[in-house]
Amino acid sequence: MKVFNKKGFAALAAVAILAAACGGSTGGKTLTIGISLPLSGSALASAGPAQNGAELAVSEATIDGYTLAVKVLDHAVNGAHDPAQAAADMTTLVGDETVVAVVGPFNSGSAKAQIPVSSEAGLLQCSPSNTNPDLTKGDAGAALRAGRPVNYIRVATTDDIQGPAVAAYAFSQGKKSVFIVDDTEVYGKGIADAFAAKFVELGGTVVGREAADKTVTDFSAIVAKAAATNPDSFFYGGVTSSGAGLVRKAMIQAGLNVPYYGGDGIQDGNGDGSYIAVAGDASADSYSSVAAIHDIPAAADFAAKYKAKFGEDPGSYSASGYACAQIIIEAIKAAIAGGEVTRETVRAAAVMAGATYDTVLGPVGFDENGDTTQKIISLYKVENGDWVFDAQIDYAAQ
Amino acid sequence: MAAGTVSTVRTEKPRSALALPVIILAFLAAMFVWMGFTQFLNALTLGAVYALVALGYTMVYGIIELINFAHGDVFMVATFVTMFVSGTILNQKEGIYGIPQLILSLVIVFAVTISIMAIIGAVIERFAYRPLRRAPKLAPLITAIGVSFILQNIIQYLVGPYTYNVPQLFPVDWAVMVGETRVPFLNIFVITVAVSLMALLQLFISRTRTGKAMRTTSMDRDASSLMGVNIDRTIMITFLIGSGLAGAAGVIHGLYYGNTNFQVGFQSGLKAFTAAVLGGIGNTAGAALGGFIIAFVEVGAVVLGFSRWGGAVVFSLLVIFLVFRPTGLLGSHTGDRA
Repeated sequence: MKVFNKKGFAALAAVAILAAACGGSTGGKTLTIGISLPLSGSALASAGPAQNGAELAVSEATIDGYTLAVKVLDHAVNGAHDPAQAAADMTTLVGDETVVAVVGPFNSGSAKAQIPVSSEAGLLQCSPSNTNPDLTKGDAGAALRAGRPVNYIRVATTDDIQGPAVAAYAFSQGKKSVFIVDDTEVYGKGIADAFAAKFVELGGTVVGREAADKTVTDFSAIVAKAAATNPDSFFYGGVTSSGAGLVRKAMIQAGLNVPYYGGDGIQDGNGDGSYIAVAGDASADSYSSVAAIHDIPAAADFAAKYKAKFGEDPGSYSASGYACAQIIIEAIKAAIAGGEVTRETVRAAAVMAGATYDTVLGPVGFDENGDTTQKIISLYKVENGDWVFDAQIDYAAQ
Repeated sequence: MAAGTVSTVRTEKPRSALALPVIILAFLAAMFVWMGFTQFLNALTLGAVYALVALGYTMVYGIIELINFAHGDVFMVATFVTMFVSGTILNQKEGIYGIPQLILSLVIVFAVTISIMAIIGAVIERFAYRPLRRAPKLAPLITAIGVSFILQNIIQYLVGPYTYNVPQLFPVDWAVMVGETRVPFLNIFVITVAVSLMALLQLFISRTRTGKAMRTTSMDRDASSLMGVNIDRTIMITFLIGSGLAGAAGVIHGLYYGNTNFQVGFQSGLKAFTAAVLGGIGNTAGAALGGFIIAFVEVGAVVLGFSRWGGAVVFSLLVIFLVFRPTGLLGSHTGDRA
């Protein structure tokens, strides 16, 4: 109910205008779900499976009296997500009257650029993979949506849980001293800070902390400094495109053969440009997390129908993309049941307090910030040149 | 006239010729004591790459006063040529432990990559810069930026946008332990190759007829032309040598780091350009010196715990030099610029 209470006069006025603007389209038969992800170059390996998941869910759904459609926009520039392009794509989706909700984006940096645009239009947006806490929580989250009602929801767990989860994982493997390097970016520094705090709290020692931005390609000096502190483990806060694989390669070359830990930024499969591909043989003894459930309730069914449609196994965030589309479709149905389908009724239905959606990920609901109530972290390790699932931890109860 | 100018340069030399090596040796000794052997070796290795790339910037600037922004991307292309030669042609994936085969493979990789890059450099000069020889200076500068984009896009089209592994032919695990310190042979090899190439370049510029032509062309193109120097040929040779050195730097980058991507030239190019300015743009000895100084500054920043500011430290140095000593450490108007 809290969401409804927040609605002020201005919001009501906006709803009225929107309802008028959308009136024509919702009277017609087509409802479009936008998909806004980075889908070319290096980014495709991680975001492509999320797109497939969302499209699969839409293709399976039917709503009486309406036709469901998808509109896919790619905001990768030079092979990596581009926040400016992400914002431009969101403007395009807002401009298309048939679009009632959007699946995306993939990266927290792009979300930061899109949320002000989608929020102003009152357009529901569900990210399969964003983990940065500041997108939704506290003053930073409220500032991003300019105090308007929540329109951005996500099914991935946030880094204030993911970072500590990796710390607990390392600690459970007997690691007592860690050397940390981050990539100076919002995601990388954030998850490294969260990791460090938990590792120390558990009784471990952070023996050193360095940073190298994404332009750095020579990690020999940092690795030499790390080796001099004799850590029994190493944590990298960042993504593969910032240098996760290069650091690992430099470590092994310098003779620093200790286990390597990272967040979901390095869990990008083993295709071209992935952490495993860049680090090569050095990627052995690496561990990472994904901010989503791995053991989904009907895993075999989902994998089978995914493979039947796309000819490959689901990726890390395929089920999350599928779940986002499921939630949007349920919200559309709820809006229809409530009388009319507009952007505002779909948005309001999705974030309604207490609503729980039965998704491929299991039951999912959203708190007052739009964050998922399912707080599960999955942990992986590299074996024979690929990521192998190791364990998943549910933090909702803790 | 040309001979006279050169002899004036010669008389100036002994003064700095004695002082400079002493300062450099003192600097190296201080760094060695301060940062320890491992970091000292890391800095020298990184400096070797910067210096080789910086030489190309400074030679081209010296002779046609063009800041060749495409030079970093020539280096980038060289890393991909290295990947192609050692991975596809020689069909190697990792270190070669047989010494005769290793030497043969390294000779092939260096020779082929340097030759290909020298030709590419000369072709770029012929078609992108020579037609603009008499145009306002801004024109070739903008063309250079265009060439930079063209090279990046060609590699993206031909190979792809990812980071790729370059076979590290020289075994990375060859090392000796000196007490507690691990001394990898790869670093020693890289530094030796780079310093030898730089020494050869100095000899070439100071002792050969072509080197003399390069020096006179940089001093006064019209006068040199009147004295019978073939200007077009001399400029083309400068590009051949500069790009060839970038080729060598590309091979070294592949051997040492074992990876590359299409954007690797931008940042390395910027650092190498800073090195060239630091040493005195147009001055070959200065560029080599600048490359090593930049590397020591970067590694020193990590040693001090300023890794978060690594890039800022280097480029602050560039700004400081541009403001207080725009001619660089060794000065850009000495006679031995190429």
